[in-house]
Amino acid sequence: MNNHGQLSSASDMSGAVMVVGGGVAGVQTALDLSGLGYKVYLLEKSGAIGGVMARLDKTFPTNDCSLCILAPKLVEAGRDPNIEILTKSELITLQGEPGRFRATVKKQPRYIDEEVCTGCGQCTLYCLKEIGDGYNENLEHTHAAHIDYAQAVPTSYHIDAKACLRLNYDTCGLCAVACQAKAIRFDDKEVTLEIPVGAVIMAPGFGRISKDIMAKYGWGRFKDVLSAFEHERLMCASGPTKGEILRPSDHQHPKKIAFLQCIGSRDETCGNNYCSSVCCMYAIKQASLAREHDPECEITLFYIDIRTHGKGFDAARERATRDNNFRVIYARPPKVENVLDGGLLLTWATEDGRHHYEKFDMVVLSQGLEAPDDAQDLARATGIDLNEYLFAQTDTYTPLATSRPGVYVIGAFQGPKDIPDSVTQAGGAAALCAGQLSAARGSETVKASFPEERDISSEEPRVGVFVCHCGINIGGVVDVPSVAAYAKDLPGVVYTTDNLYSCSQDTQGLLVETIHKHRLNRLVVAACTPRTHEPLFQATMRDAGLNRSLFEMANIRDQCSWVHMHEPEAATQKAKDAVRMAVAKALHLTALAEQELPVTPSALVIGGGLAGMTAALTIADQGFAVTLVERNTALGGQTLRLTADRHGNEPKKEIARLVARVRHHPRITVHSSAAVTGISGYVGNFTTTVAVEGASEVINHGVAVLAIGGRPYEPSQYLYGSSAKVLTQLDLEKRLAQKRPLPPSTKQVVMIQCVGSRGDDLSYCSRVCCGQALKNGIRLKTLQPDLRITILYRDMRSYGFMEDDYRTARQLGIIFSRYQVDNKPEVTAGRGKSSPVRVSYYDALLADRVEVAADMLVLSVGIVPEGPTVLAKMLKVAVTADHFFLEAHVKLQPVDLAVDGTYVCGLAHSPKSMDETIAQAQAAAGRACQPLAKGTITPAPIVSKVDPELCIGCGACEAFCPYKAIQIYKDGKVRRARTLTASCKGCGVCAARCPTMAIDMGRFTLDGIMAQIHAFAEG
Amino acid sequence: MSGQYSPKILGFLCNWCCYTAADSAGVGRYQYPPNLRVIRMMCTGRLDPSFPLEGLASGADAIFVGGCHPGECHYIDGNYHALVSAALVHETLARLGVNKERFLIDWASAAEGPNFVKIITRFTKQVAELGPLGVAEGGNPAELREKLRAAAETARGRKVRLGLINASKEMMKGGDFSRQTIAGLVTDKCAKALEALDTGAL
Repeated sequence: MNNHGQLSSASDMSGAVMVVGGGVAGVQTALDLSGLGYKVYLLEKSGAIGGVMARLDKTFPTNDCSLCILAPKLVEAGRDPNIEILTKSELITLQGEPGRFRATVKKQPRYIDEEVCTGCGQCTLYCLKEIGDGYNENLEHTHAAHIDYAQAVPTSYHIDAKACLRLNYDTCGLCAVACQAKAIRFDDKEVTLEIPVGAVIMAPGFGRISKDIMAKYGWGRFKDVLSAFEHERLMCASGPTKGEILRPSDHQHPKKIAFLQCIGSRDETCGNNYCSSVCCMYAIKQASLAREHDPECEITLFYIDIRTHGKGFDAARERATRDNNFRVIYARPPKVENVLDGGLLLTWATEDGRHHYEKFDMVVLSQGLEAPDDAQDLARATGIDLNEYLFAQTDTYTPLATSRPGVYVIGAFQGPKDIPDSVTQAGGAAALCAGQLSAARGSETVKASFPEERDISSEEPRVGVFVCHCGINIGGVVDVPSVAAYAKDLPGVVYTTDNLYSCSQDTQGLLVETIHKHRLNRLVVAACTPRTHEPLFQATMRDAGLNRSLFEMANIRDQCSWVHMHEPEAATQKAKDAVRMAVAKALHLTALAEQELPVTPSALVIGGGLAGMTAALTIADQGFAVTLVERNTALGGQTLRLTADRHGNEPKKEIARLVARVRHHPRITVHSSAAVTGISGYVGNFTTTVAVEGASEVINHGVAVLAIGGRPYEPSQYLYGSSAKVLTQLDLEKRLAQKRPLPPSTKQVVMIQCVGSRGDDLSYCSRVCCGQALKNGIRLKTLQPDLRITILYRDMRSYGFMEDDYRTARQLGIIFSRYQVDNKPEVTAGRGKSSPVRVSYYDALLADRVEVAADMLVLSVGIVPEGPTVLAKMLKVAVTADHFFLEAHVKLQPVDLAVDGTYVCGLAHSPKSMDETIAQAQAAAGRACQPLAKGTITPAPIVSKVDPELCIGCGACEAFCPYKAIQIYKDGKVRRARTLTASCKGCGVCAARCPTMAIDMGRFTLDGIMAQIHAFAEG
Repeated sequence: MSGQYSPKILGFLCNWCCYTAADSAGVGRYQYPPNLRVIRMMCTGRLDPSFPLEGLASGADAIFVGGCHPGECHYIDGNYHALVSAALVHETLARLGVNKERFLIDWASAAEGPNFVKIITRFTKQVAELGPLGVAEGGNPAELREKLRAAAETARGRKVRLGLINASKEMMKGGDFSRQTIAGLVTDKCAKALEALDTGAL
């Protein structure tokens, strides 16, 4: 970046960002950017956005339907006027400088006009050329003219140029005849686009493990060896077997399945030394679902280490293992052979050195994640550096920045990671772009517009009922067609149908069409839950010219098919009852006026550690005022206690840099030695009282970020506190920073992992302790190479590139020995105070307990969250059983709390490393700035309404309203109540207490609820 | 529960805690008896005292109200007001000779899917043991439902509601939100208005 560029006015700075890759990370970052006021060009190589997540059946740990939670985002991106989706497109070159890039994009022809295609599918039907269906891992066929998957966005077909008979041999052309819309364009040409953008976000996802590696384990050689992706498609209702898990060789249900972990990961022979970080989780998910499909199926999982280190992951794994009776074997991936009488013979060695063999019906290979196949092309095009594994090179303290300023990286291309971490990074990168381009915010965006609302006040109710199969999530239990048929005869219903996925983009189009065609004026969708999907359907209603309050949802998945899985008849009856009650309520719904409320354009950040300071800076850089509250006198938090990161840099230098920036930032006000004593209000209008050194200060802010952090667990185990030889990893860090870290007599160091964690005092895994032990072990070995170090562990959770440290540690001669939770190491004091402690542990290979004298025993203790209860109560947000704040959605809203306008990051969310904390803090800052950037909020119009004819002015409502949102006023001589709609939150206490039933609630009316009660009784 | 009576249970769940807990029970695939039908409300504070009575009058064997834990209401104190309405329902049931166990108000936070399942499983079992409304009570079910309908009407009447306002005011003033105290307040303030239920006036 040259100085002239920086100094020149913002007028030539672009307010647009290019996102390369349309998977969940790319789509999320596009939505976040749009929400922050930027135009987005979303590039996708294939014919549709959605990426790998669209191909998953379920997601770990909740076994939520993957497409169901993704589809609303795809639809939202598809209908956002500020997101331009460029499919079949690749970034070729990137010239210029941050703020003023010129991106050259090559867009391959679709041969079917996106604008004209209605998505009817006639072209596929008539197409003569069969090709493998990539969406279904080529386990099924599609045609040269096709759509990638049923819920694809854009909802438009395209032609595979390599396969098409007309394009290659000038024959056929049947699709052009079949297409009623006349959308086929055989003369479509590749185009090159020059697009000016201010920043670029790389989100190309990951590549597949090569076929050679897979073949080592029988894939491609033996029919019944499946890749995990293939198995995923077999599980899925929209997959090649309609959701039946069948052995490819004989189409029978396998009764004995083996899951092999670390295929193409942690494997020097294929160059992938790193851990892929997701396979342990998805294998447990797939194994659980295989059991769900066939409760008699026996499942064995082969692990090197079980790495379920994410928030709540250990608990989910333990429950799945227990409930499904999984057999878990610690072994390197077994050898796979075909045996003559059918079946697959697996041979493996266990940690006690013994060899085993056994026959299985089917084998699933948990393949790892690689850098994208075209990583080097991408690097060349954008001028960014790659690491040795061809992932984008990033730094611990700038985890989302590539080597080229203005180019960011998110998702698996930054390093193997799961969906929540990818979504988090998406939010973080959007915030960084918004900070970099804050001068150009809103310069290239347009406001979303909806057709004028139809006045339905004089119309008779005309209800449309849409019943969703949700793949097999609902349809596998509830008899969906019979529910739809039942709805047909309900009073007021003029139209009913059932859909495979009601939330897909094509269904939204269908909904709009149906509303127009049948002049519907109320909509009932029987599907998952209004908590996640109501906004999507309400937006569709607005597209159809209907007020969004004319919508009602029947929850027939989360509260029906999923909780009555073994009672299909009872579940079907319950679904019918739910639909009947929803329709009864819908008849009483009326259009409600929307209100826009102003937003106080500033943020409150609670906690001045790494997370809080990063969040504050990222918000302030976007142009908004921030108040940072820290309870200690100094900023910096727990990070100051780390004396080195895994690359040997000093974290305190980074903290010092952050503190200086925070202190000098014109838009950040710091209150240290301060405590939050009260928070009230709602998104856009919070009021917080802060006690600072005896005085109290009132702060008005629009949003709040909670970064209250955590602290180390305080051990009482293993003689900690009573022997000077026993210390924690943080104690060791401190020593390692001293001039003479080790007494010269030190010969043997022992480290014990999981002290207090994973079911000891704390039920969870603290994620960072394995990495810390490796780092400190390597530091010790570097200091004193002849030092003997033994690390006693349960599972070495050196996920991602941290696996390099594990390998280095072993190469340096550090000894690793696994202990079982029911056979923990034992520590006894030496004779004198300064004599070594004795550590005994069970050695699997020797099949006996061994004892070593440790000159130093280092305990790897976990992380405890700082007490969240007080804040949680003030804000009315939920915390988990482990006292971490509970995010709004574990997969797709990982930094949002359930209360709008509140966000969480850092250790208050869950244990995490520094780079993860920074990315999460940036994400929280990005999400937090969305209401601020928008400037107004539109709360749900579910407010109270007083009937002045019935009101007797008693004042009970005024007395009980928790928000002072209802007031008594004088109407001539009589007293009457009235609602201040801007303050009303819609709780309904006033209505429940009004002596004359003069108050009613929007959408939750007396008549509506009474209708639901009476409809309930009709069942 | 084969062979046992399968009761009809109507639930009023608040959006923020119990409804979310019910959803998360689904996400976790926790299984429970399929007897509950749910009406979503933003807050249990919306619970009109007549709703549960109307539900029982209309054919429910039992009513469940689920909200946030005391002190954790999304709207600050809506669930305390719900306890006032609940006390009136219990008082009414007692006066009509309906088993009080047919009405339950309980809490599950958004993070407590398994707790929700436990509550519903236990409640369903308990109501199944009671059997159909009226039968366990040893009266004429149809007559009982008529009385319940009249009681719902009474709960919508000005007299009872003024009593509830006074009870709510004293509860807020006193700051004691125990069920026992609230029940005492409601009995005290609404006794007169409820007298009609005891007499042959119905």
